Amino acid sequence: MSGTTAERQRLGAGAAGTEVGPGTRRRLRPAGYLWILPALVLCVGLIYYCIAYTAVISTWDWDGLDPFPEHVGAGNYVRIAQDPIFAKTIEHTAVFFVVTFVVQTALGVVFAVLLHSKVRLAVVYKVIIFIPVVLAPAITAPVFRRLYAPDGQFNWVLEHIGLGSLAQPWLGQESTALPVIMAITIWQWTGLTFVLYFAAMAQIDVSVLEAARIDGAGNLRVLASIIWPGVRGTTVALGILSAIGALKTFDVPYLVAVGGPNYATEFLGTYIYRKTIAQSHVGYGAALSVILLVLALGFAILLQVRSREKETTG
Amino acid sequence: MQLTTRLARPTTGSRSHGPGGRRARTALRAVAVAAVAALLPLAACSPVGGGAKSAQQSDAGSATSGTVNWWGWTPTDVDTAQGYIAAFNAEFPDIKVNFKLVAISDWQAALPPALRSDAGPDVFDMQPGAYVKNYKSFAEDLTPVMQKALGDDWQSKVAPAGVSGLSADGKLVAASVGAVYSGTVWYNPALFDKYGLQPPKTLDEWEKVCQTFKSHDQGCFVQGAAGEGFDQDTLQAIANSVSPGVWTKASNGEVPWNDPAIVKTLDIWHQLFSRGIMQPGAVGYQQYPDANNDFLTGKYAMVQMGTWYTQYSTEKAMTAALKAAGVSGAKPFPILPMQFPDVAQAGNTSEMFGDADYGLSVSTKAKDRAAAETFVTWLATSKAGQQAVADQLNDVPALKGVEPDFDKITFVDPATQAAPVKQLLSQVGTVTEPRFALLTTDVQDAILAAATSTATGKATPQEAADTLQKAAQAAR
Repeated sequence: MSGTTAERQRLGAGAAGTEVGPGTRRRLRPAGYLWILPALVLCVGLIYYCIAYTAVISTWDWDGLDPFPEHVGAGNYVRIAQDPIFAKTIEHTAVFFVVTFVVQTALGVVFAVLLHSKVRLAVVYKVIIFIPVVLAPAITAPVFRRLYAPDGQFNWVLEHIGLGSLAQPWLGQESTALPVIMAITIWQWTGLTFVLYFAAMAQIDVSVLEAARIDGAGNLRVLASIIWPGVRGTTVALGILSAIGALKTFDVPYLVAVGGPNYATEFLGTYIYRKTIAQSHVGYGAALSVILLVLALGFAILLQVRSREKETTG
Repeated sequence: MQLTTRLARPTTGSRSHGPGGRRARTALRAVAVAAVAALLPLAACSPVGGGAKSAQQSDAGSATSGTVNWWGWTPTDVDTAQGYIAAFNAEFPDIKVNFKLVAISDWQAALPPALRSDAGPDVFDMQPGAYVKNYKSFAEDLTPVMQKALGDDWQSKVAPAGVSGLSADGKLVAASVGAVYSGTVWYNPALFDKYGLQPPKTLDEWEKVCQTFKSHDQGCFVQGAAGEGFDQDTLQAIANSVSPGVWTKASNGEVPWNDPAIVKTLDIWHQLFSRGIMQPGAVGYQQYPDANNDFLTGKYAMVQMGTWYTQYSTEKAMTAALKAAGVSGAKPFPILPMQFPDVAQAGNTSEMFGDADYGLSVSTKAKDRAAAETFVTWLATSKAGQQAVADQLNDVPALKGVEPDFDKITFVDPATQAAPVKQLLSQVGTVTEPRFALLTTDVQDAILAAATSTATGKATPQEAADTLQKAAQAAR
């Protein structure tokens, strides 16, 4: 079904392009190019130029201030390949992506399904679920630092419900710091996942659901066989966004745990900041940034291609 | 699905590249114009080349009038800086000084682009160690300024640590305003009295004191072990108990970082955690605000802090600190300094160490350079400026012979605090060991890694010391 819809959309776009394309070109030329010039300058000039320039810096041993940086070729990349902290950041990113994506998706789908049914005060629940999305991490981070402190509210609750043996310094030990960061991220972004699934589910043809019910399908069967395939496009989009988001993660691990303890919550973003700003290894940081870009593009392309393959075979 | 649709459009659009020479030429011209327009503004962005304008090439301007933009991470409260400026303006009313406070955590991000631009500071804070290495090329040599202010024997009139730590490549990159020293612990005497305890002098005593506090549900010792600077303070204090001076020798490269004395230091550091002296979750704590607030709110009886904490022995600063820590309506309480315990129990006194808290650099791009030099000279070398610094009890003044005016300072409890505080400030006059001046950021980062990996049991003291030595060698 989704494949058919996608195909229809592609066809629609193609048809539109065939019909209005030449005319559009005629209207754009020659003065039309001037109108796109500001966007072109911004896009090519500020974004792509900076990406290219970062790639150049990545071949330097540079502190960001020395007017005569030393050219080291691929030296920074060789050092990164041997850097155990870089390996840790990749491991943390992979774990972070899998856990946050799976949990957010599960929660988002469940909330969306529940709130598509007849629930009293549904609007209130929607607001409650979505509020964390609009809160800035800079505001919530001190709250979470307090919440997960050794004498914080989380341990207080554990002690008062008879689980005092589980109370521990959550941010002060390597084994629990990363799970806390993931929990905060899930709390923050599940609202967005929910909203997207809620909107996607609204697009599912009601008659198909009714037909399934008439054929005797239960709730779980409807969810697994109709709703879940029906929102696959949203899942893919969220997968791409989550993967790129995991690679770019900076604010929560930095503000809550400063990448520690002992690099336990170090991600590529925080490591780039540590190397570039705190330690003034701008060349090394630029090489890490290039790797981040390549990984992000690779993830996006991979997920997109896999999605298309599924649509073709589906 | 939306993504699929979006991706489909360029394919459709690509068919527009059909034949038609005139159209193609016009398109090419448009692209060329766009490309040139895109690159033009970026030509000015090149971060290399250019360099700073030589101070000698620019007009120094008037020494008694002009505008001076001062950027610093300290004084950490703007009121103190404004107090300095007001006192300065009493003598130099035609020099307008604008103070911009930049948090220390943002300093490395904010300063480099500002120094490279023409809109950066005329005067900026400088700290011994990594900052001197990073920013020395943007700082004017202040040797002639100091000679003019204090005479040819100027070095004999200021604290030596403020000269050596702020010099590089044969030039004085900043004039020291004051120094801070570490290797002390501050404690809450009321809590010690409450449980009949005395400040510990050895590791065993420290453990027993903490056991007593804990038996009364009272926190014992708190430190923000997530940050390098304060870990380094404690490690250096331990090292001075193990083998006095070995930390400085390792910093200088005279002994390796995996020297047995450093391994022993890391072992004792680990014992602070395993014997219950350090608070639970210390490696996830920041010194500010976490440890500081916990001590000020009475959750812990001891905190690792240096001479900068002397300011909180005054009623005014303690009241403000309590307010900042979120304690509403709390009465200020007296705090006292104590020498770091002889944790090695080898009979060594753990001597203090320190260097310039900060100096003031004059930017090579300063617009009103002479006015900037006047301000720096006044704060760093004049009796009036240094007296203002001394009376804050935050920094020990750089100019010899200047002491806090205790007649104007109101302690929380003068009977118990005046003598220990005066004794502490008199002790630092003999300190010779530096604190940060000898270490690069790479070595500091490796020290933090060694400290946290040992504390969490991820590495043995020997393994952590070996890793630290490798990192230090790689950083050379």
